[in-house]
Amino acid sequence: MRPIDWTVLAGTLAAIVLYGIWKGRKQKRLAQYLLADREMQWYTVALSVMATQASAITFLSTPGQAYTDGMRFVQFYLGLPVAMVILSITAVPIFHRLRVFTAYEYLETRFGVTMRTLTAVLFLIQRGLGTAITLAAPAIIVSLVLGWNIQHTTIVIGVLVIVYTASGGTKAVSWTQMHQLLIALGGMAIAMIIAIRSLPESVGFVDAVRVAGRLGRINVIDFSFDVTTPYNFWSGLFGGLMVALAYFGTDQSQVQRYLTGETITQSRLGLLFNGFVKVPMQFFILFAGAMVFVFYQFVAPPLSFNPVQRANITSSRYASEYQNLEQTHLRTFEEKRAAATGLVDAMNVKDVATVERRTIELRGLQKRDDETRSAASALIRKNDPSAEPADTDYVFLTFVMQNLPAGLVGLLLAAVFCAAMSATASGLNSLASTSVIDVWKRLLWPNRTDHQYVVISRWMTIFWGVFCIAFALYATQLGSLIVAVNRIGSFFYGTMLAIFLVAFYAKHVGEKAMIAGALIAEAAVLLCWRFTDMAWLWWNVVGCVVGVIAALVAQMLLSPLPAARGEG
Amino acid sequence: MNDDKPPILGTWRRLYAAVLINLAVLVALFYAFTRAFE
Repeated sequence: MRPIDWTVLAGTLAAIVLYGIWKGRKQKRLAQYLLADREMQWYTVALSVMATQASAITFLSTPGQAYTDGMRFVQFYLGLPVAMVILSITAVPIFHRLRVFTAYEYLETRFGVTMRTLTAVLFLIQRGLGTAITLAAPAIIVSLVLGWNIQHTTIVIGVLVIVYTASGGTKAVSWTQMHQLLIALGGMAIAMIIAIRSLPESVGFVDAVRVAGRLGRINVIDFSFDVTTPYNFWSGLFGGLMVALAYFGTDQSQVQRYLTGETITQSRLGLLFNGFVKVPMQFFILFAGAMVFVFYQFVAPPLSFNPVQRANITSSRYASEYQNLEQTHLRTFEEKRAAATGLVDAMNVKDVATVERRTIELRGLQKRDDETRSAASALIRKNDPSAEPADTDYVFLTFVMQNLPAGLVGLLLAAVFCAAMSATASGLNSLASTSVIDVWKRLLWPNRTDHQYVVISRWMTIFWGVFCIAFALYATQLGSLIVAVNRIGSFFYGTMLAIFLVAFYAKHVGEKAMIAGALIAEAAVLLCWRFTDMAWLWWNVVGCVVGVIAALVAQMLLSPLPAARGEG
Repeated sequence: MNDDKPPILGTWRRLYAAVLINLAVLVALFYAFTRAFE
């Protein structure tokens, strides 16, 4: 990092934090602090919703995913626009008309306080751990690549977020997220342009896309139906729909974003804008990864992108084995570069026979290189069984650090930090809201003044911020367990969605039947995880379908039917 | 709080349809992109 990079990074972060504090000043009432007085316009709601979902991992890991697996991950988002329409029709008007602060508040009007408390506590556990990982994961990646202290990086990001989130509440979070998302997307665009411009002169933009396609990185849509593959059109449409419905409809970190809309219209427009642009945005991020992949067809990539694992293995008793693999990798790279250059030349003169021959040759070389990389990963694991051998998360940042000019490195790092801060801020903000509205105000400390609840909201933001920093510091030592912790959401989303669907549409179902349905749904999800090869996106479908059916059946078995409560 | 008409396309139904048509067009374009470059 050069001085200009430090200046850009520090300047951007300082500007964001000060802007957040300034925007969120004079927060006196609870509706002001937790819902920005419900006065946000659609564009703030839209960008806040998008920034909440797009964490730093989105900008670090997604390009790496395209590098190793192609662009098929975009299919995960195909259900999202459908979910935005469904939620605009159902959840938005209900939440707005009831003037709720949290999604779980609604469940009391529909089922009772037990269901409200149960879902609120589930949310606090899941989002508390999730926000900590949102903080830890980018801190690990950035620190390892730049040689920084992981603990210091985690604490700096966490404290910056706490400062403006605790002082300015939801208003500060929403306004800063607008700018953070624009900085992050701008950074990605710059990185992609530089990847394309850094290719050899004879390789144009279309040539680069053709090379990526010939090597299986332009696999955007796959219509084949297979429940064991993670990303295809069907799992994306149906599994992705369930995930998006659950995430945007039942997760307070998102619900709170569109509850800030001035009217139902503003909230709906915010969600529908997300429905329009989210899929192209993810396509663009993955495409940047595919271009980085093509770049590394012409410039030698490291055998492992993880610098710490590379350093560990080269100083271990497996060093000579690793060096042999590195030599194989470099020889293969030289052959690949010649084959890729030959392929581009043949495509430019429309020599079909040579194009086919070069494609087969290049694919064979890529397969050989993948095998070499797998062998290197196995060696890293052999040397240190607790090591995370996958290096996907490090691809993009390595490219940035090695190829971007001075100043832009700082901007890209600022983009990563902005993304980490925006997702963390939403997490803390929603954790504080749920703690205060569903626990403190409802159960522990009722009938206090608005000012007292604002004070406790600020303290809960600080509490959850400290909790997330502490758990993030612990998580940095978990290694590959982070992936497992990160999947906690998938265990609960289907069930949470089932609870809200029954609340909205099956008004004869009472609290006891819904609790039984929720427990059965959780059991079904755990069975799928433990005893089948089903891809995790389908767990959400199973949890939701089983939860709804089990609640309906349980209600039939319970008699007499309880009367529906409140509005639905 | 009110539930006005959307600022474009006249009705919510049409705006919802636009979101879904946009998705269908994107899928078609992505599929064509995949087939063109695979």
